[in-house]
Amino acid sequence: MNVIYPLAVPKGRRLCCEVCEAPAERVCRACTVTYYCGVIHQRADWGSIHEKICQLLIPLRTSMPFYNSEEERQHGLQQLQQRQKHLIEFCYTVAQKYLFEGKHEDAVPAALHSLRFRMNVHGLSSVELVPAYLLLAEASLGLGRIVQAEEYLSQAKWTVLKSTECSYATHSLLHRNLGLLYMAKENYEEARYHLANDIYFASCAFGTEHIRTSGGYFHLANIFFGLKKLDLADTLYTKVSEIWNNYLNDHYQVLSQARIQQIDLLGKRFETDTGLDEAQEAEAIQILTSILNIRESTSDKAPQKTVFVLKILVMLYHQMMNSSKAQEYATRAFNLAKEQQLSVQEQNAVQDLLNLISAEEAHPVT
Amino acid sequence: MTTLPPLPMARPKLTALARQKLPCSSRDIPRSQLIKEKDDIDHYLEVNFKGLSKEEVAAYRNSYKKNICVDMLRDGYHKSFTELFSLMEKWDALREAARVRSLLWVQRPLEEQPDKLDHFYYYLTRAEAAERKEYFEDVYNNLYALACYFNNSEDKWVRNHFYERCLKIAQLIKIDGGKKEAEAHAHMGLLFEEEGQLLEAAEHYEAFHQLTQGRIWQDETGHFLNLLACESLLRTYRLLSDKMLENKEYKQAIRILIKASEIAKEGNDKKMEGEACYYLGLAHLAAGEHETALTVLNTYIKISTDLDDDLSLGRGYEATAKVLQSQGQMTEAIKYLKKVVKIARNNFQSLDFVRASTMLGDIYNEKGYYNKASEYFQQAFDMTAEMVNTLLTDETKVHYGIAKAHQMMLTVSNYIETADLTSLDCLLSWKERRSDIAPDPIIGESRRSTMEGLCQTSEHSEDLNGFPDNQKK
Repeated sequence: MNVIYPLAVPKGRRLCCEVCEAPAERVCRACTVTYYCGVIHQRADWGSIHEKICQLLIPLRTSMPFYNSEEERQHGLQQLQQRQKHLIEFCYTVAQKYLFEGKHEDAVPAALHSLRFRMNVHGLSSVELVPAYLLLAEASLGLGRIVQAEEYLSQAKWTVLKSTECSYATHSLLHRNLGLLYMAKENYEEARYHLANDIYFASCAFGTEHIRTSGGYFHLANIFFGLKKLDLADTLYTKVSEIWNNYLNDHYQVLSQARIQQIDLLGKRFETDTGLDEAQEAEAIQILTSILNIRESTSDKAPQKTVFVLKILVMLYHQMMNSSKAQEYATRAFNLAKEQQLSVQEQNAVQDLLNLISAEEAHPVT
Repeated sequence: MTTLPPLPMARPKLTALARQKLPCSSRDIPRSQLIKEKDDIDHYLEVNFKGLSKEEVAAYRNSYKKNICVDMLRDGYHKSFTELFSLMEKWDALREAARVRSLLWVQRPLEEQPDKLDHFYYYLTRAEAAERKEYFEDVYNNLYALACYFNNSEDKWVRNHFYERCLKIAQLIKIDGGKKEAEAHAHMGLLFEEEGQLLEAAEHYEAFHQLTQGRIWQDETGHFLNLLACESLLRTYRLLSDKMLENKEYKQAIRILIKASEIAKEGNDKKMEGEACYYLGLAHLAAGEHETALTVLNTYIKISTDLDDDLSLGRGYEATAKVLQSQGQMTEAIKYLKKVVKIARNNFQSLDFVRASTMLGDIYNEKGYYNKASEYFQQAFDMTAEMVNTLLTDETKVHYGIAKAHQMMLTVSNYIETADLTSLDCLLSWKERRSDIAPDPIIGESRRSTMEGLCQTSEHSEDLNGFPDNQKK
């Protein structure tokens, strides 16, 4: 039975819902430490994140086992810390991934989890909480609740202001979300200001040609596109594509080098990976797909750019081991190149890519 | 920087505000103008509160360079931002390196130089706007302006960076037939020449020369670009050949100088052609090829006579004399050197005069005409007495003394050989008084002059060690 009776709990102990903090009526049978106020919230949480972290929550929410010696107690404490940190990161990544995939509803419980764990570990007014607040703000924006997003963002801003050593990356993220907020409120001046700040901080933190900076460029480009300044938007989109192209190319080179070396030792092939975590992959897909859509709408004037973006997508999917999509994009690129009669070089390059993908698919990686 | 008037730029809002916050600016703007409304909240604040607006806060809180960067990005100039950012990083890296080497880092940090940042903003944004519209000429002009602005001693690397960019852009400009490209090559050549990398400099200057061949372009000061190209190319070749001569790579040096003289001939400037011939002759001399040296130097002399240039004529004669001397043709050499001496005297070229006289004296000395030798050395010495160069004076003194000594050699050795009372008397009195030795009637009149010469020598050459003793022995 999943139902519990609030009156039956020991005196003073309040069981609150995971999602909404109302008095809890249900419990998760699998882990018995997570409580919900109703079926809806239970289903939402399960679909969002609870399925993945169900068992991981148990050691965190029950009391510590009895240890015999001080060392063991210390060790136990450390393990607890480790688990919490791991959960923080994991929830954060999952929430980000949902956001980039556009599933804002699902992102909320995950983000809340991340926030709560951060509060547990770091305290209420630490800078570490800021990324979680920003996630929640973004999710609220995606759901259309602007006021709530503003609240979260003000909280984040206040925390950043009060803290003394906030990293550039956090500043960059804060400004990016502020930019998104103002975009939603259609205050494009402010949005541009904040995104400019975002790019500046991201460049300080990572460099101007890093994939983390590319998000800032992308959003700025969106603003210009919305303001109908198409040439500005165009240059920015090109920059974003180039950043991703360079990253994927370099990564591919590194991988093939490693593969050449390793193939002698082990005789089996390495699986390709992108070197990104899931959230970043999702971000890449989102950015590149939207650029592709925009390019396709203006495809007559500059087919090379569309082909360029398609090639990047092919490489991305190939490295993500999603060969069907890779194939699809490769064929699209090839057809487009043929139709628009691009230079022979371009056509050959696309052809090579297509062959590579087909070859990979024929001999699947172990 | 300070010579250029302040730019009448339409500064973006943020930097305008920030500019006023900087301690170095001293303008007053009424408060109401500073507070701008964007949001309703801002408007409300402006109406009801006399506090800071959001932008004022930003202007106070951020560093000036951050304001510039943000302004650039806001208007979408991301390429300017990338370039400025990388330049700032390099600036910091240089500072770090200098700090590590614990040298005095003379350059002030960028923070304290808002003018430079403003210039960056102004020109880089305009260059980017032009680039988007593909007006490469505009891009080039803006980048060139930036390069000129940074043409001071501490910002040379910034200037060099912009010269390189100018070159890349110039190579895209086809409309003006390559003039900008030629200019860009010239700048790059200058860059490399300053750093001492002569080979690259020569490459760029060659490109410059090729592009300007046959065109009558002029630069801002009115000089023909073609002439400039020839000059720079010759200069670089000469420097290169100097280095090679030092390393005794004669063949290469001669090859380069032959190239240089060909270019000079094409350039239709007699003076340059002459110069090229002169250096070629010197190189041949250093390599030991006397015949070729002679022919080349003859051309030089002809050109100089055509141009009526006495100084170069003198140089040419001198060089020819040197060649002849090493060949062993002394009489010819003497003829040329006499010409040099005359020219030098006419033109008040004391150094040349001294040098030529010394060479003449040397030749006579070797051949045994000590009188003539000491005569010329005396001339040289008198000339150096007017000059301040003590080293030269000492040198000529020594030469003079040696010549005088040779002159007296015969007389004194005769005295010693005869070894009779009168001779010894003469010698002793000379030794005591260092004045005239009474001439021995046997030897004759000629000795009187030599004795006078002895006295003079003894006055002049006090630092000649061991001379009287040697003679005594």
